[in-house]
Amino acid sequence: METVEAAVAQIQALSGSIEDVSHLNGLLKQSEDSLRLKSTVLSPYLDQLDPSTHSLGYLYFLEAFTSTPIIKERANEVVALTIRFINSCTAAQIHLAPDKFVSVCKRLKEQVMWLETPIRGVAALLTAIRKLQPCTEQLTSLHPDFVLLCVLSKSYKTGLHLLEDDIFEIDQPKDLFLYSYYGSMICIGLKRFQKALELLHNVFTAPMHNLNAIAVEAYKKYILVSLIHRGQFSAAFPKYTSSVTQRNLKNYTQLYLDLASNYSNGKISELETFVQSNKEKFDHDNNFGLVKQVVSSMSKRNIQRLTQTYLTLSLQDIANTVQLKSAKEAEMHVLQMIQDGEIYATINQKDGMVRFLEDHEQYKTCEMIEHIDSSIRRIMDLSRKLTAIDDSMSCDPLYLAKVGRERTRFEFDDIDTAKFCI
Amino acid sequence: MDFTPLTEAMASKSYDNVADICDNLMLQVAAEGTAFQHEWPYAIHLLGHIYVDDINSARFLWKSIPAEVKEGKPEVAAAWSIGQKLWTRNYAGVHEAVRGFNWSLETQGLVAAFSDKYTRKMFQLVLAAYSTISVQDAALFLGMGEEDVTKYTLQEGWLLDSASGMLTVKKQPILSEQKVDPSKLQWLTEYVFHLEH
Repeated sequence: METVEAAVAQIQALSGSIEDVSHLNGLLKQSEDSLRLKSTVLSPYLDQLDPSTHSLGYLYFLEAFTSTPIIKERANEVVALTIRFINSCTAAQIHLAPDKFVSVCKRLKEQVMWLETPIRGVAALLTAIRKLQPCTEQLTSLHPDFVLLCVLSKSYKTGLHLLEDDIFEIDQPKDLFLYSYYGSMICIGLKRFQKALELLHNVFTAPMHNLNAIAVEAYKKYILVSLIHRGQFSAAFPKYTSSVTQRNLKNYTQLYLDLASNYSNGKISELETFVQSNKEKFDHDNNFGLVKQVVSSMSKRNIQRLTQTYLTLSLQDIANTVQLKSAKEAEMHVLQMIQDGEIYATINQKDGMVRFLEDHEQYKTCEMIEHIDSSIRRIMDLSRKLTAIDDSMSCDPLYLAKVGRERTRFEFDDIDTAKFCI
Repeated sequence: MDFTPLTEAMASKSYDNVADICDNLMLQVAAEGTAFQHEWPYAIHLLGHIYVDDINSARFLWKSIPAEVKEGKPEVAAAWSIGQKLWTRNYAGVHEAVRGFNWSLETQGLVAAFSDKYTRKMFQLVLAAYSTISVQDAALFLGMGEEDVTKYTLQEGWLLDSASGMLTVKKQPILSEQKVDPSKLQWLTEYVFHLEH
């Protein structure tokens, strides 16, 4: 195609059926470079194309148009154009050129960040992810960008909706690192600490050849969230963590490991001193807010420990043991823990005593049955998935080649399996 | 800006949905790129989050509101002060914050509904957490005067010891559904099948 007009005509002609569109894809690929060279004059031609019927052609033009740096005055216009395209494009057409779609969306993210209005891109990127994904279990390259925009624009609830999808397939492993790290920040903001721990765990136990900065930061947050949520931290790495992580990660996170061991002593004043003397370093890592939460969680842990020893205790004794200022403050702490379901107790104001009770859940109600039911179903689904993955891996030639090399002798059964699958 | 879904929700008193509707509308309006912050109903948006006890989202929303709006619209600041009291667990302060402002027509219904919900929740909390409580504290938690709270709790079967000013809480037995329906038998069969394979 010589001229841009010819390209436009081709797009308009060949956007009918799916075969036409595939043919168009081939033609457009050949003229990619010449389109890029003419990128500055492309914008009036975009008006001649319809983003929903001519999605593929529009995508090529838009990608070429945005490949050169945009001046600030035009950024607004380009953002509006990209958002309109994302909302109206046809998923089937853009699946023929997914890399281009991803580039266009990533540029959108850069532009809204540059314009300092990250909230502008949130809805569009979510639409883009849904159109790009073949199913909700697939992690695309746009996931980390979307979650980043949610964090920057404080649209945490919207981000959480996406995080609740279980991921089973990943395009690029590096997407997982950023997605899980930013995702954990959203969960921490919404106090969903259990989910944050899972996401952070995925980051530092992921396979890697070299230690990366994201894993280091994730491990630091993991230590802090573990202390807040569970009141303890175990420094043992799971078996599937890569060896480079196991050897080197602790060297970069020594301060946090020291905080964890200080925490396990149970003395709140010592912990506060330690935190104050290292305030600058925590601030530098942007973790001071989390560290403060760790300190305040210590009173809770200490009170919970008391329930294991005492049946009744006076409010004044609680205040003394846990190093709180007064019996009234102890009463408020206990009341808050009862409200959050972290403790079972009743307060007797007349005598100034607290009576610790057992959890009265008897696991007999319909609600509990539903809960157990749905957990069992999810585990069964997961189990089926694992069996399917295991089956397909056993047939994978790369895997078999590696396993074959490591075996020194073949057993009768192995030879049979090898014959079946290759 | 098309606020129909929001006005409909407010008119039908489905306050549970207000926060989600506001969140979605905000993302759509933001995508258009025009500055919407000055016309946005932040007070209703904040109260929507507060109504469903999502104080985290209310906090983040407050952080994202521009300073001029915070200063120029006292209702927005008043809505946030309720959220703030909830965040710091200042149980009595919540009632004060609700009563301490002259709410506009649009927000009155939502605030009143929240206030009822909160009082009932606080009653449940006191019921669960205390075996005896002073009349003073009960009045603070439930946002009522001392006489009103005495009358209310005596109706619920609590006992008053006038000498010490202490109320003895009467625990209500928790009734819960325990009937199981026959479809569970189908689930059980599936589990056993799965375990054996």
